[in-house]
Amino acid sequence: MQDYFLSIKSLKVAYEQRGELVTALDSVDLSLSQGQRGVIIGPSGCGKSTLITVLAGLNSHYTGQVLIGGKPPASGGETALILQDFGLLPWKTVWDNVILGLKLRKKTAAEIKTTAETVLEKLGLSSLAKRHPTQLSGGQRQRVAIARALVLAPKLLLMDEPFSSLDALTREELQDFLLELWEETKLTTLLITHNIEEAVLLGQKIFIMSSSPGQIQQEVENRLAGATHLRGELQFLEMCSTLRSFLRGRVHDEASA
Amino acid sequence: MRQALKKGGGTISLILSVIMLLGSWWLLALALKSPAVPPPLGAVKIFLASLRGDLVIHLGISLYRVLISLILAAALGVPLGIFLGKNPRIDAKISPMLYLTYPVPKVVFMPIFLILLGIGDISKIVLITLIIFYQILVTTRDAAKNLEKGYISSVQSLGAGSRDLYIHVFLPGCLPSILTSLRLGLGTAMAVLFLAETYATQKGIGFFIMDSLSRMNYEEMFAGIIAMGLMGFFLYVILDKMEKVLCGWVHL
Ligand SMILES: Nc1ncnc2c1ncn2[C@@H]1O[C@H](COP(=O)(O)OP(=O)(O)O)[C@@H](O)[C@H]1O
Ligand SMILES: [Mg+2]
Repeated sequence: MQDYFLSIKSLKVAYEQRGELVTALDSVDLSLSQGQRGVIIGPSGCGKSTLITVLAGLNSHYTGQVLIGGKPPASGGETALILQDFGLLPWKTVWDNVILGLKLRKKTAAEIKTTAETVLEKLGLSSLAKRHPTQLSGGQRQRVAIARALVLAPKLLLMDEPFSSLDALTREELQDFLLELWEETKLTTLLITHNIEEAVLLGQKIFIMSSSPGQIQQEVENRLAGATHLRGELQFLEMCSTLRSFLRGRVHDEASA
Repeated sequence: MRQALKKGGGTISLILSVIMLLGSWWLLALALKSPAVPPPLGAVKIFLASLRGDLVIHLGISLYRVLISLILAAALGVPLGIFLGKNPRIDAKISPMLYLTYPVPKVVFMPIFLILLGIGDISKIVLITLIIFYQILVTTRDAAKNLEKGYISSVQSLGAGSRDLYIHVFLPGCLPSILTSLRLGLGTAMAVLFLAETYATQKGIGFFIMDSLSRMNYEEMFAGIIAMGLMGFFLYVILDKMEKVLCGWVHL
């Protein structure tokens, strides 16, 4: 049996809604090996964010087994979380946002300065350090969010629809940027998207989810991941249409049931 | 007023406002021809003259009472408001009590405070604090409750504990609302202050005004009113400056 870095077995999460227990996730099995990039795709409300929240150590009300590097999830540990919007604090400058995690870990001022400067430099954000998030474009904001995650040298990167509110060109730019980053850091990543092309471009392993209750319906190995030059090529489009039929298939099943 | 004072034209609009105010007062005095509404010039003269006398002492005492009350109310209302906003379950248990006691006009307790706490500053400060405490508490709680959940979860994921969340997320995130509630609270505080100072005290601007009234010295009474208005204005300016310095990010 393979040794996975991230391993989830029979995960179940229920929320209390108006006194009733609603199952958000049921029997979820998911695993990623070290350095692997997984993408989750599925309809709204199928429990994608719930899954990420558990992995980020922000929700401990679950049953089943979740192991990250052999340990149960914990916040402020070795996972970094990047959200679609609102992740950055508007009352802090780019610099203060980026160093927040280091400050919370009580690093020395000198250590904080060198680490943050290096990461900002690498992401081409040095000149924006004094600005506030509202003074940045959407793409710049997400780069800052990535910088804030990277300064902590995480072992697992969790991204919840990180590029959903960006325009098409900025989105492609950030996808390329992310692929370069992965090439360099080999960071194990789990990314949520509702964009099929994005899933094909970024995910080495694609998990298709269905809702009520949230389950992983299909797992697809994707050899086209990272092949930016294939964007729009036949092979790429075929893969997209395969995914689309998986996503649709579920809808048909429900209609006929 | 905040917007007007912010820009470079702030001084001009301030001067214009003062002229307008004095002008309408003057017209009113002309029209009424009553000793109860003396023309502004006399009142301003008396005001300037009394500044060299007792008025400054009365003003100082009133300022002290209002400032301490605002600070106390914020020191109690902000942490408790954030706590309730953060913990909806506890809030659900506490808020009925809050809403039962909030609308009770606390001013009716003044005689009780006078008996229990004496006629000194404490009874007045407690009364003012109690009244604006509610405003600050409810505003802060709602601000904390409505804070974007993404701010909280992203900072939690960086390893923030409860205290860190307070300092880095809730307090700065609620600060604009807190300052708004302080601004509103200031108006209430001034009104309650006046009332409190008309009972069983020989000090404060409220006493000064009521004392002048009882002596039918209307010009002095208006000097007191001018002093009270200026004191409120001064406090508003301070709150404005605080807002500018602490919440600059809101206006980016
Ligand atoms: N904090 C919560 N309390 C109660 N129910 C929740 C909570 N968060 C999510 N849910 C419910 O769980 C389900 C999955 O939500 P979510 O994980 O946000 O889905 P997705 O991210 O795939 O759109 C939804 O039905 C949602 O209403
Ligand atoms: Mg979601």
